[in-house]
Amino acid sequence: MKKNSRKMLIGVLLVAAGVAFLLYRGIATTSTYYLTVAELTGEVTGPPISDQDYVRVGGEVVEGSIDYDQKALILRFAIRDQEGSDGTLKVRYDGPRPDAFAPDIEVLAEGTYARAEGVFRAQNLLVKCPSKYESKQEQ
Amino acid sequence: MVTFGTLSQFAALAFSLLTMACLLLGVMRDDGRWVQAGRRCLVSVAACATLASIALGYLFLSNNFQVEYVASYSDRALPLFYKLTAFWAGQKGSLLFWAWVLSLFSALVVYNNRRDPDSRLTPYVYLVLGGTLSFFLFLLCVVSSPFDLLDFVPKDGQGLNPMLQNPGMVFHPPTLFLGYIGFTVPFAYAIAAMTTGTTDASWIKKTRAWNVLSWIFLTVGIILGGQWAYVELGWGGYWAWDPVENASFIPWLASTAFIHTAIIQERRGIMKVWNMALILLTFLLCIFGTYLVRSGVLQSVHDFGATGLGGYFLAFLAIATIGGVYLLAESYRQFKTPNALESYLSRESTFLFNNVILLALAFATLLGTVFPFLSEAITGNKVTVGQPFFNQVNTPLFLVLIAITGVCPLIGWRKASPENLRKNFLRPALFALAAAVVLFASGIRMSYALLSFTLCAFVAGTILQEFVLAVLSRKAVTGEASWTAAPRLLWRMRRRYGGHLVHLGLVLVVVGITGSSAFKLEAQGTLSKGESLAIGEYELKYENFRKYEKLNRTIYAATLGVFTDGARIGSLDAERRYYVNARQPTTEVSLRSTLKEDLYVTMPGISRNGDITLKVAVNPLLVWIWIGGGLMVLGGILAIIPKRRRETP
Repeated sequence: MKKNSRKMLIGVLLVAAGVAFLLYRGIATTSTYYLTVAELTGEVTGPPISDQDYVRVGGEVVEGSIDYDQKALILRFAIRDQEGSDGTLKVRYDGPRPDAFAPDIEVLAEGTYARAEGVFRAQNLLVKCPSKYESKQEQ
Repeated sequence: MVTFGTLSQFAALAFSLLTMACLLLGVMRDDGRWVQAGRRCLVSVAACATLASIALGYLFLSNNFQVEYVASYSDRALPLFYKLTAFWAGQKGSLLFWAWVLSLFSALVVYNNRRDPDSRLTPYVYLVLGGTLSFFLFLLCVVSSPFDLLDFVPKDGQGLNPMLQNPGMVFHPPTLFLGYIGFTVPFAYAIAAMTTGTTDASWIKKTRAWNVLSWIFLTVGIILGGQWAYVELGWGGYWAWDPVENASFIPWLASTAFIHTAIIQERRGIMKVWNMALILLTFLLCIFGTYLVRSGVLQSVHDFGATGLGGYFLAFLAIATIGGVYLLAESYRQFKTPNALESYLSRESTFLFNNVILLALAFATLLGTVFPFLSEAITGNKVTVGQPFFNQVNTPLFLVLIAITGVCPLIGWRKASPENLRKNFLRPALFALAAAVVLFASGIRMSYALLSFTLCAFVAGTILQEFVLAVLSRKAVTGEASWTAAPRLLWRMRRRYGGHLVHLGLVLVVVGITGSSAFKLEAQGTLSKGESLAIGEYELKYENFRKYEKLNRTIYAATLGVFTDGARIGSLDAERRYYVNARQPTTEVSLRSTLKEDLYVTMPGISRNGDITLKVAVNPLLVWIWIGGGLMVLGGILAIIPKRRRETP
């Protein structure tokens, strides 16, 4: 009896070790920084980011900065942390313009930042839509 | 009607508090009269909550836009059906829905126990139910009431979000809620069993139907959610490891683990403490899931925005956790069973490993979900792990789980002999090997996909072998023909074959997930009229464009001819809709679904000169996810159809 339960325990521990390894590797290889515009452009000190690092950056679309080429499906725009902040970040996204994409709307871009060109190449673009589920009350 | 609704809500709260008071007196003084009073109060809660729900439904139907909740989620143009379902579209109404369903479930528990009112367990069961109800009704009455009024009367409401105007969305939230809420009943029984020191498996037998039924509802809810995302959100996928999706998946994993080890306790009387811990965990995860959606702590397409409810939920979670763990520690000695397992080569041990893997999946998913907070709390930087994390960690775990699903029925209870194993394994293993060879020969080289399909073939092989052998031996005994023996066997042994059917469904789901994620094709482009876009073996030709009005929306539709090898095999209408009262257009998904693959088209853009932008994907085998999901649900239902008393074997 004792021997069996010891064997079981060893088995369970082995599985646990495997799971721990998977988790460790998963976090090590897939975790991405979630930054503000100021942190990415270096206006305030954030974590060190190289040109190859895949990061997430969130911000608000600057009015008048949107340039969409529908034929080639290239969307260029700039984001800033919030209304009134000076620092902006140019973003280029190769793909169709999302439904809810509009000036002053909060977006989340995932991709890499080419510091020399000063352009964030977004591979993924998520639009946070304030009216999506909880609508705002208006008179 | 507003006053009526509010009053009913308060009456329900009063009755639920009374329930608790009566039952506490009853168990302290050991007086059956108090217990009976408490039971009647519990039924009254259900009556009052029903009245409150009717009131809210009436307010929606009568377009009473002075009620803030109605004004936020409905408008005059909304079709009648969606007016009723707007009930649970927002946070306040869904909270009322929660309380209402829980009160009905509680009344049902009372009804089920009508024949033995003196059972030792039931007073505590009612007490836990009353306590949980009090919490939700308190939130409704004091913090977030759907009957709150605006100080003016708007001419029209703001309408229901177009994305929620979809049949999938109508049934996705309530089924998920039914699953979440249903686990309150087994939780209540577990607490009662621990408090009274009832060490036998009676609580598990009594709550088996509740467990499996709640599991079925969770499964349906998750599948409908995936399908809704697939046909409505238009990004081409069905699962994004979004925090709120995870919030439903994590309790599903825990409850699946519980359902398996509960069988062991029923059959062998072991793993009592483990089962208690699992059902506690399942219930807590259900509440945690509800909390995630409502607290606004996670950024997600689902969240209801910050609602100020987070603190209350955390407090409730803390109380339930501390209480549950305390009781578990107290009763640990009583429930501990010696000699847990006789052999590591036994069905019990495969169940144990299945549990370890399921819990590992739950833990990994939970860790990934809350990782941004953890990292921010520890390092000060917000670090997220996205979909790649979940895919990378959960895929191997899931493959192991599938393998165990195949191995489990081949190994006998208690202790299996090596010879017996060899005999059982041979055919399914050969079948799986043959499948692997065929797939490899047909050009599939991706190791994960190959492994996944092979394991699926193995599991399907074991299930098939078991069933065929059983049919053959039944035929030998009864002399029936195969086509009468098979369905009769399925029906007589429905608990067992229900389980197998669930596993078979799971295999199909995995086949669908593997096919659609490993072999997906994507293309996008902007077309002028007459131009074509090619993807895989398909060619899509932009043939026609029209604009028309329908109910509460304006629709722009492009007709696309679908061609393979130059032959027109059909057409698809790609649509963009502009709903009255919505600020932005909605992209509709058009789908050509076959057993082999889905052709998935969205139209994210229309320009003034009539050019259209298309996003197209081919998702191989995807439809098997829905078929497999349906089979899982059917199997679950089959497994809990009760045996009639005079059923002959």
